[in-house]
Amino acid sequence: MTLAPIRIPLSQLARGQRATVECSALDSLPNEHRCLLAAMGMGEQCEVRVCRPGTPCIVQIDRTRLGLPHGIADRIMVTPIESTSP
Amino acid sequence: MIPRIALLGNPNTGKSTLFNRLCGLRSKTANFPGSTVEHQVGRCVTKSGQEMDLIDLPGIYSLMLEMPESKLCADCLDGRVGDGRPDAALLVLDANNLSRNLQFAASALRRGLPSVVAINMVDLAERRGLIIDERAASQALGVPVVAVSARSGQGIDRLIAQLTRTSTSIATPNPDTAFPTTEPGSTASAVWAADVFARIAAHPDEKNDDRMTIHDRLDAAFTHPLLGIVFFVLMMSLLFASIYWLAQFPMEAVDGIFGWLGNGVEMMMPAGTLRDLMVNGIVGGVSATVVFLPQILLLFFLLALLEDSGYLARAAFAVDRTMRRFGLPGQAFMPLLSSHACALPGIMATRLIPNHRDRLATILVAPFMSCSARVPVYALLTGVLFAGRPLAAGFAFTGCYVLGGIVGLATAALLRKTILRGPSTPMMLELPDYRLPSIRNALTIAMDRGMLFLKNAGSVILSIAIVMWWLSAYPKSPPNPESVAIELRAVEVAQTDPTVAENLRSQAERLNERTQQSGSFAGQLGAICQPAFAPIGLDRQLTVAVLTSFLAREVFTTTVFVLAGAGSDADGEDQGTLATVRSATRDDGLPLFTMATSASLLIFFVLAMQCLPTLVVVARETGSWRWPLLQFCYMTIIAYTAALFAYRFMS
Repeated sequence: MTLAPIRIPLSQLARGQRATVECSALDSLPNEHRCLLAAMGMGEQCEVRVCRPGTPCIVQIDRTRLGLPHGIADRIMVTPIESTSP
Repeated sequence: MIPRIALLGNPNTGKSTLFNRLCGLRSKTANFPGSTVEHQVGRCVTKSGQEMDLIDLPGIYSLMLEMPESKLCADCLDGRVGDGRPDAALLVLDANNLSRNLQFAASALRRGLPSVVAINMVDLAERRGLIIDERAASQALGVPVVAVSARSGQGIDRLIAQLTRTSTSIATPNPDTAFPTTEPGSTASAVWAADVFARIAAHPDEKNDDRMTIHDRLDAAFTHPLLGIVFFVLMMSLLFASIYWLAQFPMEAVDGIFGWLGNGVEMMMPAGTLRDLMVNGIVGGVSATVVFLPQILLLFFLLALLEDSGYLARAAFAVDRTMRRFGLPGQAFMPLLSSHACALPGIMATRLIPNHRDRLATILVAPFMSCSARVPVYALLTGVLFAGRPLAAGFAFTGCYVLGGIVGLATAALLRKTILRGPSTPMMLELPDYRLPSIRNALTIAMDRGMLFLKNAGSVILSIAIVMWWLSAYPKSPPNPESVAIELRAVEVAQTDPTVAENLRSQAERLNERTQQSGSFAGQLGAICQPAFAPIGLDRQLTVAVLTSFLAREVFTTTVFVLAGAGSDADGEDQGTLATVRSATRDDGLPLFTMATSASLLIFFVLAMQCLPTLVVVARETGSWRWPLLQFCYMTIIAYTAALFAYRFMS
């Protein structure tokens, strides 16, 4: 039996931690915010790295840095990725 | 016919820098009819003399978003606004963020316009080891692709040559190119972009390094709840001080030049109505407009530098939490702070605020911030109120700034809960990379803003200045009999004591100015309006001073000096002048400035909308006279009520 991956709000990740934005992770957001975030690069299955937790929550996606208020970061569900750095 | 090319791209791709590189100063800010979203229009002239008109559209993330900027771009590409469909599109992509930018390019290319893709900032990408294959990119996108650096000028000549070819051809993107049919951000679009990116860019493997970078450290400091505010206050103090102090010198120069010009015209023309109109109406009116230009140029130059450096986006987050308590976003702080120098550039700077309601609330409360034009009025009235008590006068002076700030923020909270009720857009911002700002770009932006101010606000301010001059200059009053006697006495003593004669002539001149002021249309209007101002302690003379200061607040001090007989060129901080003002009397012989009258006037000037140019700029920025009228009525009622309380309390 395999365990389902743990999904937590983006706001709960620590500084430097990476995670994958899951399908339907943005569903709890209003449509306009969801579309804007997706167009800014935060689409399904994208990988994010937390540069600064808290308010604002600053995440890096590819080469883009996005600043998000806590209320939004709290509603984005992500699956943490285990750290690869020593 | 000159071909028209639309510039399109994500925010922070260096699109405007590229536009400025292609057009230089041959550009202007414009609006499509019915739209308040601005764009730049400029002309690019090739070395062979061929011309192209470039339309720099606002930076957007998708053509399908429910945002005014996205709708404007889509309408422009489809020919629903302006002069029909553009002849071609120039898509600007950031070489350092190609995956996301390619998705946007695909959605724009699907519209079928002849297009050229400029991959910008290749110099930065090359430093990271990322090499763009232009030919592979052209094949993948089905349109010509040119790698450029708008900052250094790399690839610009090739881009212009390619634009010339594309804009005069009817070649649409290669129909065999398979673009994703979904919008940027969708899984299909992301997969397509990843595939194209792998084909067109050779790049080193960037290891996932979870250690903190210098960017992380700077971001953490600049957005920290406490440290971020300290940085912000420091940065804004520097900006504010620069605008406040640096602008003094060019403003004095403007004053001097127009004074010299006025004197020149006065000497060249025979005395009469035409000379009066030229000197006091037109030269005075143009001077009243141009005098604001140094502050506007400085503010936008420094703001452009800050924005280009990447700091401004972080600063907005630093103050967002505090500003939200008053219903305003973090981006509102900077325009409100700038309004302490002058409300005009402050209101123009609200364009940084994306949400319409937030922007409107900021515009409506900006004039509550004490601007530099209020300083001479505060100096005069606190000097009169606290004669010989400089510490108390200093506290009262500071209190004026605090009072304006508190009432402004309270009004913002009230507006956002009443007529501007509605959800605020949470601040979701892309934080651009930190970089050395471009002076050339900042200069171009400042010049453009300055020209826009002169063109749109300047013409209205000039017209109204002429009307105000006419109201206070006509009808002409006969010379005051007392002044005639003094002038005769001056002639008598001219030979024996020239200094006394000069003083007598000045005294006669001031008496005549006073007679003219009370006999003019403005003076008659003052007499009619005086009953309305009587409850706050103003007599006929002070009512005239308040009414004429509607053109600009500092006019109040000039009028008071004339009324008090201190001369129109007196200095408000000079103790002798203050003593003359304090001893000035009303028509009935009672003191002109009692404690109660001074306090009431001071509070009135802190809170009242006594600035015509500000109303003109608010009308221009909101696209309607409804908002400035509401603002004028609200501020006048608040100011009058507060002044009434102060007068009653002090009486």
